[in-house]
Amino acid sequence: MTAPLTPGRAVMLVARREFTTQVRSKSFVIGLLVTIAIFAIYIALFSFIGSQSSSNSLGVTSSTAALEPALQAAAKAQDRTLTITQVDRAAGEAQVANGDLDALFDGSPGSYSLLGKDTVDSSLQQLVAGTVQQATLTDALTSAGQDPAAVAARGTVTVDTQEPLDPERGQRLVLAIVVAVLLFMSLVGYGSAVAQGVVEEKSSRVVELLLSTIRPVHLLSGKILGLGLVGLVQLLILSAIGLVGALTVGILTIPTAAAGALVSAVIWYLLGFFLYASIYAAAGSLVSRQEELQSTVAPIMFPLFIPFIFAVSVLPNDPRNTLGTILSFIPLFSPTLMPARAAMGVAPMWQVLVAIGLTILAIIGVVLLAARIYRNSVLRTGSRVGLREALRSRS
Amino acid sequence: MLEIGGISKRFGQVQALDQVTFTVQPGELFGFVGSNGAGKTTTMRIVLGVLTADGGEVRWKGRPIDADVRRRIGYMPEERGLYPKMKVGEQLEYLARLHGLAAADARASVERWTSRLGVEARIRDEVQKLSLGNQQRVQLSAALVHDPEVLVLDEPFSGLDPVAVEVMSTVLREKADAGVPVIFSSHQLDLVERLCDRVGIISGGRMVAAGTVDELRTGNAERIDVSGPPPGWADALPGVRVLESGQHTTRVELDGTSDQDVLRAAMAAGPVHSFAPHRPPLTELYRDVVAAPAATEEGA
Repeated sequence: MTAPLTPGRAVMLVARREFTTQVRSKSFVIGLLVTIAIFAIYIALFSFIGSQSSSNSLGVTSSTAALEPALQAAAKAQDRTLTITQVDRAAGEAQVANGDLDALFDGSPGSYSLLGKDTVDSSLQQLVAGTVQQATLTDALTSAGQDPAAVAARGTVTVDTQEPLDPERGQRLVLAIVVAVLLFMSLVGYGSAVAQGVVEEKSSRVVELLLSTIRPVHLLSGKILGLGLVGLVQLLILSAIGLVGALTVGILTIPTAAAGALVSAVIWYLLGFFLYASIYAAAGSLVSRQEELQSTVAPIMFPLFIPFIFAVSVLPNDPRNTLGTILSFIPLFSPTLMPARAAMGVAPMWQVLVAIGLTILAIIGVVLLAARIYRNSVLRTGSRVGLREALRSRS
Repeated sequence: MLEIGGISKRFGQVQALDQVTFTVQPGELFGFVGSNGAGKTTTMRIVLGVLTADGGEVRWKGRPIDADVRRRIGYMPEERGLYPKMKVGEQLEYLARLHGLAAADARASVERWTSRLGVEARIRDEVQKLSLGNQQRVQLSAALVHDPEVLVLDEPFSGLDPVAVEVMSTVLREKADAGVPVIFSSHQLDLVERLCDRVGIISGGRMVAAGTVDELRTGNAERIDVSGPPPGWADALPGVRVLESGQHTTRVELDGTSDQDVLRAAMAAGPVHSFAPHRPPLTELYRDVVAAPAATEEGA
C-alpha cells in the first residue's frame, strides 16, 4: 500500500499543508480584508480630496464687483472653479455665517478686506490678493503712462530643462512607494510566518514525528514554498485590487508602467522571500517557544527596514541618490530598493539584472547556511541554541 | 528481523550509548526497560534516523535501514507531538500521506484506526480540544495509520487510564501477532512482564540483559520461600543467605547448596507448611541487574 515517497512529493505534501492551513486561518482572511479596506478608503479619500480642493464660492459687493472678470480669469489660470455672487454687505455677512459663501470680498483700494467665518482658505486668499495686487499695479502703470504688458514681459523669467520633464513622474513615485510598502509588508509578514511555523512544530514536538519520515531539508523547503505561495497570492490580490481601483478612479493613468511595476514586484517578492524566509526559518529553529522568537528575529528586521525607509523617505525627493543606487545592489537591500528605483524609472535594465544575479547568488549561500542551522537545531529543545553551535554541531 | 548492531552515541562528554546490541523478531513484543537517561530514547531515535549514531548499524531484514524503510516504521516519540490547531482527521491523513500512502488509502486508514481506538467521533475537532487521554489515542493512531512493518513506541503507556492501557495492550499484541516486530519502552515493569515476549534492560548506555523473563531468571542463584519454621531458623545455615525474613515466610538464596539440605534444616527447625522456589518478577530482576554494574563501578 505504501509507495516510495520521492523528495518532490514530500516537499509538495508539506507545502500543500502549509498553504491550506494558512489560507483557511482567520488571521489570513481578516488581514486581507483589513488591507483591502485600507486600500479602498485611501483611494476614495484621494479622489474625494481631488474633486473637492479646487472649488470655492466668493461674495463680492458693489465696490468690488469690478474685479470679478479678473478674479475669474485668475481662477481659470489656476484650474480652479470659483463661483462669484454679488451681494450687499449685510447679506454677504449672513451668507458667510451660514456657510453659503466661503468668503466676502469688500472694500475699496487701500481698504480691501476678505471676510471669512473662522478662517479663509489660504489658496483663496492668495488668489484674491494676487488679483488685487495685479489690478492695482496695472492701474498705477497705466496712469503713469507705462504699458503694463511690456513691464510684465521685462520681469519674466522662463524656466527650461535640458531633458523634457517626465509628466508621469508623480504617478511613478506613487507606484514606487506602493511597491516598496507591499514588498516590505509581504516579506516581514510571511517571513515571520515561516519562523512561527518552525517554532510551532518545535514547541508542539510534532517535528520529531515528521522527521522520522521526511528529511529536514524537505520539511524546510515545503514550509517555505507553501507560505511563500500564500504571500504571493495575497500580493497579487492586493495589487490587482489596488491597480484596478486606482485606474478606475483615475489616480493612475499609466497602465503599462503600473503593470511593469507589478511584474517587477512579483519577481522581487519571490527573490526576497526565499532570501528572508530561509533566514527567518533558521532563526526560528534556534528557539523552542514563541515567546523567545521575538528577540531572535528582531535583527532580521534591520536589513528590511533600512531600504524600506530609504525608498519611502529619500527616493521621492532624490531619485538618483548615490547611496540609494549603491544600496540597491546589495542583496539584502535589493528586494525593496531596486524595484522602487525601477518603478521610478531611474534604474536601467542592466542594473536590475545585476542586482537579480547578485541576489540569486546570495540566496544559494543563505539557503545552504540556513538549512545547516535548521538541521542542527530543530530537534533541540530547551534553552536557546547558540548560533555558532548550530553552525558547527552535527546530530 | 530488526537488528540493532553495536550502536554508540556520544553527546559532548557523555557516552549516551555504548555498543548497544539486540534483535527483535517479527511477531515479537520487545519490552525496553531502564532508568531515566539510560539510553532508551536515544536508541529509538537512532532507529528512526532522527539521530545519527556515531558507530554501529541498524538493519531490517538484513539490510541497513534507509529512508524508505524508515517510512514504514510506526513511531511514537517520547515527547508527544501533533499540530495543536489541526483537525484530528486531517492531521492523521497528512501523516499517512507523508509515509507514502495514496490519498484514498490514507482516508480509509484514518477511519479504520480512529474507530478502532475510539476517537472517530472527534475526527473533525482540533487536537488541542481533546482530553490528554484522547490525544494519546490519536498519537497511537499516528503511529499505526500507515500500516507499519515495524513499531517503535517510546513510553506508549505513560499517562493512560486503565481502559486505554487495555486497548493499547491489545493493539500491540495484535500487531505483533500479525508479524510486526514491536519495541516499546516502559517503566511499568509488571506490564512489560505480562505483555512482552522478550525484555531488554539498558543501564548507563549499555545493554545489561536481554531475553525472555525466564532467561533473565536463569543464572541467578536459586531462591526459595519457606513458610512454617520460626523466624531466624536459617540465619546460621552454611551456604544460605537470608533475603527476607517475615513472621511466617523466609526467603533464602542458595549458594550452591542442595535445596533438599535446606528443606531438612527447615523441618528440623519447625513444621514446614510450604517450600517453593521463588520466581522473581521482572521488578526484582531489574533491580538486581541495574544495581550490579553500579556496585562494581563503586568497587573499582
